Amino acid sequence: MSSGIVGQQPETVREAFEQEFGRFARFRAGGADELTFAEAETALRELAELRTRHTGKKSALAGLKKLIGRVAAEERAAVGQQIQQLENEIIAALEESKQTLDAHVAALRVERELLDVTLPGRRTRRGHQHPITLVRQRIEDIFVAMGYTVEDGPEIETDFYNFDALNIPPTHPARSPQDTFYTTEGFALRSQTSTVQIHAMQRRKPPLRVIAPGKVFRRDTPDATHNPMFFQLEGLLVDRGITMGHLKGTVTEFLRRLYGPQTRTRFRPSYFPFTEPSAEFDFSCFKCNGAGCRLCKGSGWIELGGSGMVHPNVLRAVGIDPQEFSGFAFGFGIDRMCMLNFGLDDIRLLFENDVRFLEQFN
Amino acid sequence: MNISYNWLRELTGARLTAGELRERLTMAGLEVEAVHEAGDDFVLEIAGLSNRPDWLSHLGVAREVSVLAGGEVRLPEMRAAREEGKTESFTSVEVEAVDLCTRFTARVVRGVSIAPSPAWLVARLQAVGQRSINNVADITNYVMLELGQPLHAFDLEKLNERRLVVRRARAGERLTTLDGVERELDAEMLVIADAARAVALAGVMGGAETEISDATRDILIEAAHFAPASVRRTSRALGLQTEASDRFERGVDPEGQLRAQARTVALITELAGGTATTDAIDLYPQPATPTIVPLRFSRVRELTGLDVPMRDSIRILGALGIERAGADGAGSSADDGGARSAAAESEAAANFVSPSWRTDIRIEEDLVEEVGRHFGYDKVSDTLPAANVAGEYRAHEGRRRASRRALNACGFDEALTFSFIDTAHDEQFEFLPGLVRRADEASRLVTLSNPIIEGAARMRPTLLAGLLDSVRHNFNHGTRDVRLFEMGRVYAADSEEGGQPRETDACALVATGVATEEGHAGASRELDFYDLKGALEAALAAMNVAPVEFAATGARHLREGQAAQLTCEGRAVGMLGRLADDVAAAYKFKQPVYVAEIDFAALLAAAEAGVRYAPLARFPSVTRDASLVAPRRVTFAEMQRAVVELNLEQVRRVALVYVYEGERVPEGRRSVTLRIEYRADDRTLRDEEVDELHGRIVGTLEEKFGAQLKR
Ligand SMILES: [Zn+2]
Repeated sequence: MSSGIVGQQPETVREAFEQEFGRFARFRAGGADELTFAEAETALRELAELRTRHTGKKSALAGLKKLIGRVAAEERAAVGQQIQQLENEIIAALEESKQTLDAHVAALRVERELLDVTLPGRRTRRGHQHPITLVRQRIEDIFVAMGYTVEDGPEIETDFYNFDALNIPPTHPARSPQDTFYTTEGFALRSQTSTVQIHAMQRRKPPLRVIAPGKVFRRDTPDATHNPMFFQLEGLLVDRGITMGHLKGTVTEFLRRLYGPQTRTRFRPSYFPFTEPSAEFDFSCFKCNGAGCRLCKGSGWIELGGSGMVHPNVLRAVGIDPQEFSGFAFGFGIDRMCMLNFGLDDIRLLFENDVRFLEQFN
Repeated sequence: MNISYNWLRELTGARLTAGELRERLTMAGLEVEAVHEAGDDFVLEIAGLSNRPDWLSHLGVAREVSVLAGGEVRLPEMRAAREEGKTESFTSVEVEAVDLCTRFTARVVRGVSIAPSPAWLVARLQAVGQRSINNVADITNYVMLELGQPLHAFDLEKLNERRLVVRRARAGERLTTLDGVERELDAEMLVIADAARAVALAGVMGGAETEISDATRDILIEAAHFAPASVRRTSRALGLQTEASDRFERGVDPEGQLRAQARTVALITELAGGTATTDAIDLYPQPATPTIVPLRFSRVRELTGLDVPMRDSIRILGALGIERAGADGAGSSADDGGARSAAAESEAAANFVSPSWRTDIRIEEDLVEEVGRHFGYDKVSDTLPAANVAGEYRAHEGRRRASRRALNACGFDEALTFSFIDTAHDEQFEFLPGLVRRADEASRLVTLSNPIIEGAARMRPTLLAGLLDSVRHNFNHGTRDVRLFEMGRVYAADSEEGGQPRETDACALVATGVATEEGHAGASRELDFYDLKGALEAALAAMNVAPVEFAATGARHLREGQAAQLTCEGRAVGMLGRLADDVAAAYKFKQPVYVAEIDFAALLAAAEAGVRYAPLARFPSVTRDASLVAPRRVTFAEMQRAVVELNLEQVRRVALVYVYEGERVPEGRRSVTLRIEYRADDRTLRDEEVDELHGRIVGTLEEKFGAQLKR
């Protein structure tokens, strides 16, 4: 057998390939940019068919390779090399074009499947807790951690719990139907959560620590700063050897846990029938930290509530000996704290239940 | 009350600036709300305390300043420029109502010249916000502001028989007061009268007919003490509140009348001329007896935590006019401020006399407060009480919080509404089962005798009325998609007449509009009964209560055929459904509204659904669906129960796939697709076994409910 068997066949194979490959040749070095996704995919499919036709088992190239064994031994190496080179060139041309097209398709696919990650996630609308609940739960959590028991009592009370036991004199204006709501059967809507002090001290013996958050009622016409119904929180601690120092320490600790460790408090003498001595307490403005701003009306202090040492008449009313035990009590408005914390400008919003208002709280 | 800085300085000689006074007074309990300039003076706006009527005068505030700044209160000039003759030779006074007028004093000045006040007096009154009238009227006003005692000057010649009688008004008696209003009096009102008619409303306002005029020559000056409750009543009844009534209502110094008389007469004789009588008529049948209050000095420390040296306690009390009573034991030993041991001090005690103007000082703690507040609450050090008890939430707080969060997760916002509602709602709603205990229609609910919002006299027996008001509020403000819930108490009368009203925790839900996705503007679908039921189920699941059953029911406020009752542990615990058309119309609702109300107290207290682990299945289960066309009235629960009652061991679950009605399903019927799960514990079920079981189930359902299997 001589090299004549191969003859001009490699040139024929090359020409046939180049003729068909011609339209893909521009992809060997880029050049796929203008193709649409569909065009590029078609080109890739056609290229794969081209490859099968020109390098597959039934291709002319495969036939040529089979002839190598039949070439004379001394020429076989040279012929083999020639055919191998032809094959390398064809495959290189196909591969390079394919890579270009693949890269283009991949890039187009990213573009096609690109997500707008800023679209809202998929979930049904969530409801919101009432701001009073939010504040109330926070306060309860702090006091429970400080060893207090959360208690409550009736909202419709007898005069004994609402007034008498709290040392409120029979002539006190707070008792008048001008200020306090009464039912037709003579019960009072409790005008302060201090009533729970009395229930708590009747239920349990000292030492005791109680907070009583709850609803109270006063005959105020609703306006931007008043509601005839609001929420208060009362605190009470009775033990041996309790002084105003403990009152101040407790209120300060609570406010620091609520508003941060930089918070300072200030106690001003005041008057409440159920405490003696009595004091109102202010805390350093959480917005300006005492420098003075609009929230604190320039004073640096925010007035919060009333407090004092439990009046001996109150202790006696529940059978506790004021010579043996002493205690402190304090109270403040949860609604007022809501106003402060959330910057509300009209307290009526709290009970109108406007969804646009409620959904601002989380 | 407006306090003049210059006036205070005249009374005390204190050298504090107005700014310093503001700070120190506030920290002593006299809250200074504002300070403003008034000419060469400053005015301090003081918000006093209700138990300190003595602070409604410059003298009262001056006493506090004297403690804060040291020095003594200097009472002003009290001597008349000219005196002659006894008062009783010019007039007489009789007090008939001794229960309402505890003291009455009168003095006469003859020959005065009524004229405008001197500039200094006009300026001072103006500074504290008072208008000048004439010299005599201004002086009575001035002395009230200075000493706290309201006074009145009568034109003596205009008094019939030149005499006064203090008595109750005659029913229907009329009096034109200084403000020109003719008032009709009742028999409980105290008046000052002359021989013929009422000439002043005691403690409230003088009468126009006996008022000082330019022609007045002789005047009678009244300084009295009236029962606070009587003045309050008259003032309220007539809607007439004055500087005088404010002071009498809260209590004026029962010993201060003669001093105020003397001061007034001194100023009148100086500024308006005339000759005063040498004495005053003073009707004071039962003089106040001073209250003696003991103080153990150690109590200051025991109650305030302040270490106040005994000498400071005595100094502070003394400066406030609270003097020690006569020598008695330990009290007298506290006399000299010399060296003494701490132990001796802690044993020491003394009796103090409560001054006549300090009706608030009655017990030891009152004295402790006086010492403490002037020593300074800022010196009390913060101490935390040693922990000795464990904290605890309200009962069922975990369930409350869990159910709240579950309802939030279902899209419901938490609402709070007023506890009093309009009585018009009484007939609209059916209340929680068992809430109403009294049969009598008129008294079964709780009613306010003095509501503040018109019509809102009913203590709510249902939360729904308030929630529906909130829905309407939202509709009116353009929000059509509303889901709200409220947890709070509802009220009803006790079963016994006069018993304390019943209060119980309820929870109510309302839902209307469309379901929305968070962050999306578009609606997904209309809310319906099953959204509300789903939210309730979620809340109950979060509370982990024993299973609650739903059954069709009828209720006053719910649309027929769209209402369900909840039952837990055999007890009715609430209702839900679509709001009835007439109730919806009353609220002017045009879109369907779904409501629920449950007995929250009962559910909070209900037994917890226990958890018992079931071993995981070892063999696979097989599911088969069956679509049955059955009459609409056949409920899913009935079908489910019918399958369960077959008691087939291998039937593990009967679940709903979907309900269909419409095309290809006859009117009055619907197609219910059930998915039944079959499984055995000891082997894999063969197809033929499942076929046999499924066939029996389908056959039972067909036969029992007249259903047909849809193929
Ligand atoms: Zn501030």
